[in-house]
Amino acid sequence: MIEALWLLAGGAAAGGFGSLLGLGGGVLLVPLLTLVFGLDLRAAVGVSLVSVIVTSSAAAGVYLERNIANLRLGMTLELFTACGALVGGLVAFLLDERLLAFLFSGLLVYVAITMLRAREPAPDDGAQLRPNLDVDDDRHVEPLTAGDLASFRAAALARLSGEAYAVRNLGRGIVGSTGAGVVSALLGIGGGIIKVPLMHVGMGVPLRVATATSNLMIGVTAAASAVIYLFRGEIDPYIAGTVAIGVFVGATVGSRVAHRIDLRYLNMLFVAVLLWTALQMFLKALG
Amino acid sequence: MSEPRQAGQTFERRLGRLLIAVTYVAVVLLTMGVVLMLLAGISPLAGGPPFDPSQIIPDLRGLEPAGFLWLGLLVVIATPLSRVVGAAIGFARRREPLMAIISVAILAVIAISILAARATS
Repeated sequence: MIEALWLLAGGAAAGGFGSLLGLGGGVLLVPLLTLVFGLDLRAAVGVSLVSVIVTSSAAAGVYLERNIANLRLGMTLELFTACGALVGGLVAFLLDERLLAFLFSGLLVYVAITMLRAREPAPDDGAQLRPNLDVDDDRHVEPLTAGDLASFRAAALARLSGEAYAVRNLGRGIVGSTGAGVVSALLGIGGGIIKVPLMHVGMGVPLRVATATSNLMIGVTAAASAVIYLFRGEIDPYIAGTVAIGVFVGATVGSRVAHRIDLRYLNMLFVAVLLWTALQMFLKALG
Repeated sequence: MSEPRQAGQTFERRLGRLLIAVTYVAVVLLTMGVVLMLLAGISPLAGGPPFDPSQIIPDLRGLEPAGFLWLGLLVVIATPLSRVVGAAIGFARRREPLMAIISVAILAVIAISILAARATS
């Protein structure tokens, strides 16, 4: 009973802080489950993937309802995140757990640095922007001629662009999304920490739309690798069910109180926690 | 707002509602499983039964926590896939063949994941 309550509370804390700070729960859950509850890293990754799907699905549903996420861009890129997750999910079982712990500690340092460098989004960043949902509106679509690769690319980009923004660098997005899928499957994270900057900085998507679209993609990405962890026996139903409920409740509460909390101090505290956790994971990697 | 744009927004709103509904179904199933686990005095760290699809229905009938938890976890994993299936149907109806093909390709990658996992486990 006590263990169940601790797991619920741990999941709620991970989901709540993740929601407050704009992170998926995975970055917090995997260290929590390995360092505090003593789970193997791969078992923790399996539980984390399930939890990530629960929270991202609920959030993605809201983003779609409000027409904030760019469905076409998200589905195009998630084809490649899913391919990356397939590869990453299979590779995860070939790697030594200590190497995975080492990779995770590197990820935590990267997240901490990203949070330190994070700036407020520009006022015009997405608040009024909405993806172009008018699929029959071909105003921006160049006529496609057979064999004309440039024209095809322009037409594809126009289809994926929003009403008030133009998507660029689709090739970069495909490569980055594939990499995000691999990392997600190896380390049990949603991968938003890679996909959001990739879409926002690399592809010209407004931050708000990039965040919503990344959330949409997380579910399929995590599902592609979660089935591998499931069939390889790395998902424990008792732990996964308990933690997923905790994460769901924590993320729901976190998203409702976020506007009432001064996140500057929480951010700094969290960076310190991330760096301390990175050190612990590094020590675990050293055995 | 033009008619096609309105139709596009309606299509996405429906997908959003589908995602939210399936997520809540999963959360209810998982919550029932966790409550039954607690009532049975089972520690979550004791190690749960392995995944056996043929055992889910008998466990549900016997109100065993593992049945609800495994079904809930399967619904969790199926949730984003239900959105992809819905999108594939929607894009096909809206005569967007490229997006319909991409949707089907995503489902194919998931199917390959399952086959690869079963082949290597």
